[in-house]
Amino acid sequence: MNVHVLRSFYLFTAGFVALVGMLIYWQVYSRESLANNPNNGLQTRRSVEAPRGLIFAGDGETVLARSEGRETSGGTVYDRIYPEGEAFSNVVGYWSIRYGASGIEIAQNSNLSGVSSDPATLDELINQFRGGRQPGSNVTLTLDPELQRIAYDSLGQTVTGRGSAMAIDPKTGEILALVTYPSYEPNDIDDNFPELIEDPAAPLLNRATQSLYPPGSTFKLITSSAALKAGVEPSDEFFDPGFLDFPGFRVTNYQGKDYGELTFAEALAFSVNVIFAKIAIQEVGPQLLYETARDFGYGDPYDDFPLPVTSSDLGYTVEQWVDGNTAQIAFGQDRVSSNVFEMSLVTATVANNGVMMEPRLVREVRSPDGIIIDRPAPSIRRRSLDAGTAGTLNEMMQGVITTGQLTAAEVPGVQVAGKTGTAEDPPREPHSWFVSFAPADDPEIAVAVMVENGGEISPEGDADTPAIPIAQDMMEAYLKRDAR
Amino acid sequence: MTQRATVPMILALLVTTMGFATLIFVQEAASPPLIYGAYYAGTLFVLYLGVRLLLPHSDVLLLPIVTMLTGIGLVMIFRLTYEIEGFQSLATTQAVWILVGSGAMLFVVIFFRNYTRLFNYKYLLVIAAFGLILLTFSPLGYEVNGARLWVDLGPVNFQPSEFARIALTIFFAGYLADKREVMAATSRAFMGIQIPAIKYFGPVALVWAGSLGLLIFEKDLGSSLLFFAVPLLMLYVATGRIAYVILGSLLFAFGALFTYLLFDHVQVRVESWLDPWEDPNNTGFQILQSIFNIADGGLIGTGLGAGFSQTIPEVHTDFIFSTIASELGLVGGTAVILAFLIFTYRGTKIALLAGDDGSKLLAFGLTAMFALQTLVIIGGVTKAIPLTGITLPFVSYGGSSVVGSFILAGLLLVISERSGRREAGKPLTGRAR
Repeated sequence: MNVHVLRSFYLFTAGFVALVGMLIYWQVYSRESLANNPNNGLQTRRSVEAPRGLIFAGDGETVLARSEGRETSGGTVYDRIYPEGEAFSNVVGYWSIRYGASGIEIAQNSNLSGVSSDPATLDELINQFRGGRQPGSNVTLTLDPELQRIAYDSLGQTVTGRGSAMAIDPKTGEILALVTYPSYEPNDIDDNFPELIEDPAAPLLNRATQSLYPPGSTFKLITSSAALKAGVEPSDEFFDPGFLDFPGFRVTNYQGKDYGELTFAEALAFSVNVIFAKIAIQEVGPQLLYETARDFGYGDPYDDFPLPVTSSDLGYTVEQWVDGNTAQIAFGQDRVSSNVFEMSLVTATVANNGVMMEPRLVREVRSPDGIIIDRPAPSIRRRSLDAGTAGTLNEMMQGVITTGQLTAAEVPGVQVAGKTGTAEDPPREPHSWFVSFAPADDPEIAVAVMVENGGEISPEGDADTPAIPIAQDMMEAYLKRDAR
Repeated sequence: MTQRATVPMILALLVTTMGFATLIFVQEAASPPLIYGAYYAGTLFVLYLGVRLLLPHSDVLLLPIVTMLTGIGLVMIFRLTYEIEGFQSLATTQAVWILVGSGAMLFVVIFFRNYTRLFNYKYLLVIAAFGLILLTFSPLGYEVNGARLWVDLGPVNFQPSEFARIALTIFFAGYLADKREVMAATSRAFMGIQIPAIKYFGPVALVWAGSLGLLIFEKDLGSSLLFFAVPLLMLYVATGRIAYVILGSLLFAFGALFTYLLFDHVQVRVESWLDPWEDPNNTGFQILQSIFNIADGGLIGTGLGAGFSQTIPEVHTDFIFSTIASELGLVGGTAVILAFLIFTYRGTKIALLAGDDGSKLLAFGLTAMFALQTLVIIGGVTKAIPLTGITLPFVSYGGSSVVGSFILAGLLLVISERSGRREAGKPLTGRAR
């Protein structure tokens, strides 16, 4: 009988081993997919039962989001508070039990959320063994709170009250400001969400990264890069008769001017469309223009960026272009579409000797007890231009301010490089664009500002340029504080 | 030479103490009356000392394992109910049941040291078992969650099947010990399978089918499974004929199909096992909550008190293992499974060492029942097999289950004492104690 007793025991043992196998299957193999299953309400329950981590601005002091405990009959429940409100909500996002989450709140959720994350430090592991409520890790962003507020308030005071701005450190890729207007109050999201989603002004939309607009003449930075690569010198002379005819339409200059004989550098300074159309067709050609735009990140996905980014686009594949397209693409019209996210990267790339740094919003992640969990180092995203070409373009952009007499963009004691844009958006008023960086010889900040339909045409035919003073304010505030 | 396992015993009690300390100090649970903790620790330690004194040759590891499992169960029941309005007293009630179970075990140890006498009353035990199960159909019986397994006896409610199956195991052990040789020797072949003679097989089949039938009409699927599989395994061990197992498995397949087609509640169970996502908020809810919570535990668990297993309906009884896996993780869950395996191993060892056929079969039958019960319920809550409502021995909340499990362990202890004495050269003689 003993043999059969033993055989049965082996059978039972196999059963017990299978149970452990089942546990491994659920707890290790399928763990993640089950945690993310829409029928699984445990994560949401957890999110209110443990405090989420703090979100700090780049100064490491300004709190952008914190969790506050509230006693209920079922124990302590944590509410999410956003002390800085609307100016930061397009980046920080919201955390709603009812409506989900957005921004950094969702992008950094695995760090911010409490017990659900796997322990990253020994203390957390011990705490988890002890079964304590484990607060989430703290996330410090790169945003400069002063710049963010300046840009937000200034955009709010523009005529249309719709626009976006971004400032970036060209050398590190740290985003100093990322602003959209109008924005929303994140503290009352549970009550206001249904209204916000219906609002025609689209406050939930991040205009800086998600919307696309014609970049207008700011795109001439890319056309100029292509021209320099094609061998055009800044001193090369071109003739502007004031128009250029194509089948069905005519390219003219801003305000219908004709400049006559001009150098390439002067053509950029005065933003002469006719000469840029000529250069694009005769010197550059569609292929090189297309490739240069790609080199600057047109068409790039930004899947690793914490916020959703819509890729900028030329509107056509290069094979579809005819000369008429090339002419208009050369000054950022036709179907070219972009946003301040992309255009500030283009500007920063010129500023940083042609090297595009990976744009970053998160500076570091620390556990509640201060241990660094993540601190991404600056990294190169693309090498868009060689240093010589970038240097030449830098000088030409300084000429935009000096030769073009853009006094509104000047920062006392500092050489600024920039480019304006007045992008047609018929039948509405044109968009007002401005991209710039400073100091030109050792750039610390690159800015792109766009005011939606802000380029109101005055009776004299001059378009308003509300984007310039906003960019100037941001640069001045940043550089002045730096000097202190 | 008396064997001791004082250290494992103390460790087991320490595990329980640590569990309570975690809940009280870290989770800020309101402390249960400490006197119950003292009762619990005192009872089990006295039980251990008493058993070592009364049965010095019995298996040493059974009681430490029982202590650990009941302790973990107690901690988990407390953890699940201390903040739930109307259920706060569940842990203290369980502590009382452990006290009663310990008393029952001591009773077995003192009065049934010569347990082989029970085999003389095996038919009486069958009648008692049937009587117990039939009680649920009497006016005293009542239904819980659609299954009629409960009997209301004034001050206490109990599940007769928990005790009936021990009585039936004793019957099968006694009967098979008597008849095993004739049953094994009979040879009549049907389709290549050797069929035993009706004369000897008849009583077994009758008791088997009878108890099974009653339980199926009670809708007690978990117990039915045990009542089916345990006698089958005992028959296999007694006769050494795999034919019984094959025949039994075929019967099982037919029976399963039959019950599936006949009963709605079986269909629901099977369907919610095959595809719980079909109706995740209704029929699939319980098993999905169990799986979500187990997965939530991960490698080392959420930590005691930090999980959400209260979302599982019936978590303190049938689904208590989901809480263990959720809060103690793969590590803790595996440790508890290993504790069950060690109990099974000690039971198997007792069966192997037992001197006579009846003892051997009884020890094996009880061990098989214990092991299968564990496999069926843990398999059920981990979705390895369809869910059948049954308790996790020693761990789940429930008086009948705890007391029944203690009696089972008590019987294993007296069986091991007999073989231990024989090896030590001091056999119990005849019928005298």
